[in-house]
Amino acid sequence: MSLARRVTRFGLWFGGALVLLAALLIGVDVTLRRFFNTSIGGADELAGYALALGTAWSLGATLLDRAHIRIDSLYVLFPRWLRLALDFAGLALFIAFFGLVLWHGWSVAQLSWVSGSRSQSALATPTVIPQSLWLLGLALFVVVGLALLAHALVLVARGNATAAAHLISTRSAAEEVEEEIRDLKQR
Amino acid sequence: MLWTALALLLVLLALAVPVAAGLGFLGIALSEIYSRLPLTLALGEMAWATSNNFLLVAIPFFVLLGEILLRSGMAERMYNALVLWIPWLPGGLMHSNIAACAMFAATSGSSVATAATIGTVAMGEIKKHGYSERLFLGTIAAGGTLGILIPPSINMIVYGALTDSSIPKLYLAGILPGLVLASLFSLTVLVICLIWPALGGRRTHTDWQARIRALPDLIPPLVIFLAVIGSIYAGLATATESAALGVIAALGVAAWHRRLTVRMLLHAFEGTMRTTAMIMAILIAAYFLNFVISSIGLTAQVNRLVTGLGLSQTELLFGVIGFYLILGCFMETLSMMVATVPIIAPIMVKAGYDPIWFGILIVILMETAMITPPVGINLYVVQGLRSRGRIDDVIIGSAPFVVAMLVMIAILSYWPDLALWLPRVAAE
Repeated sequence: MSLARRVTRFGLWFGGALVLLAALLIGVDVTLRRFFNTSIGGADELAGYALALGTAWSLGATLLDRAHIRIDSLYVLFPRWLRLALDFAGLALFIAFFGLVLWHGWSVAQLSWVSGSRSQSALATPTVIPQSLWLLGLALFVVVGLALLAHALVLVARGNATAAAHLISTRSAAEEVEEEIRDLKQR
Repeated sequence: MLWTALALLLVLLALAVPVAAGLGFLGIALSEIYSRLPLTLALGEMAWATSNNFLLVAIPFFVLLGEILLRSGMAERMYNALVLWIPWLPGGLMHSNIAACAMFAATSGSSVATAATIGTVAMGEIKKHGYSERLFLGTIAAGGTLGILIPPSINMIVYGALTDSSIPKLYLAGILPGLVLASLFSLTVLVICLIWPALGGRRTHTDWQARIRALPDLIPPLVIFLAVIGSIYAGLATATESAALGVIAALGVAAWHRRLTVRMLLHAFEGTMRTTAMIMAILIAAYFLNFVISSIGLTAQVNRLVTGLGLSQTELLFGVIGFYLILGCFMETLSMMVATVPIIAPIMVKAGYDPIWFGILIVILMETAMITPPVGINLYVVQGLRSRGRIDDVIIGSAPFVVAMLVMIAILSYWPDLALWLPRVAAE
């Protein structure tokens, strides 16, 4: 699990760096347009790729940090075993949905490859390049998700339901806030 | 069809399935049951198109902007300057809290970031000056919600993306209601402190010299506001580009205060991408669901159903406001918008309401949702910052401001021009 954490943390940095680069690139583009009446051409396209790749590569860390939103108004009233069962079901569905996105995204990228499609811009990027990197991020997410699921199952099988819940339950308000405060103090 | 869809959605969400997976599987289920074509085949294409949508790039930009500002030291200086300028009203610093929130909101697109940032710097003042803790906490929780009404605003971007509305128009439309709502919050504090003077704390005394000296600390927020909002209306940048300029301006502010380090940037990256991935996961699923819903004719069915009810325009409005007030107690705001706006906005527009005006109404309803228990994110944020006592204090302290928001909704419904006047003037 600690390997998964390290790898996904890198995913966050990678995504964040892409977003920052996109912002700088757009800044340059706007300046050029305003003062020199010219343009890099395709800054918006590259920024779009930054969002797609950044999102895909950050899904895993977000999952490990339990930051994907779940509505827990009713959930908190359930008994412990039911909550844990729902945690597993929710996790499995989440992985399954993005597994499906990966699956269908694969055919999209395949089609781009076969047809040699390029973006309709000055850059004429072969679309298969950003799409493959996007799929790679999604694949990383699915692998990390399955590892998390397996790890939690093993913990439950060993009778350590509390540790499993700590991995995959919703974060209690108290926990969430603790993180937030720690983060604020770090700055 | 409608009832099946609604029942499925409620069951999935009530069982705490992650919102993104819930919306996605609802789409898949509806497509399996009601569509003759395998709509799921479009999932890959739709997910890719949503993921690199240039309009949505504004979301990570605004989150990153907030994360950098949070670590830039700008908020402390701004707050301390405002404290010198606004302590003379009954209620003292509580007005500074609201003003600081409004000012920070003009640089930030998120209510949580606004409440957390201003809350962090303001919290120490409660004990120092003998304020009523509850009301003081309420000003931060409620003031923080201004983050999404005063432009820039992540929720307006999401609304614009879901309904194909112009984001620059939404931003313009949010300015006056934002200022009016901030004034209503201040008025609320004023009235309460006139009735119960003990809640208002001790007055502090400052001199003009200190005030003038503090003025430069109000410049950085202004610079960021100009970079983000000014650049749009000067015709320099689109909504997304302006967000990028905001990020650059924020980097400048952080560098100016000597807070710009690699470590700080990495922390900002982590926070930014976690929030972005969370939002985008929901949006990817929602775009797919909306595609399924309109393909199988569900949107049309809801339209017919509502038309069949024969409601007057006003009755419809009351129904919608009531719906969001109740739902807002239990649902997180972004999920709520994504799940409901694509269906409800077209109905409202068909009934004759302006889509920009309705966007502002939705944003104010989302603000209310953020401070109504049991699920109100800003209540949790503020409670978290004080890290003692019970959350009930924050809930009770925020209650008067819920009333102020309801008054705001009434004003906006009665005078739609409060929102629509600025965009109209700008268009001319």
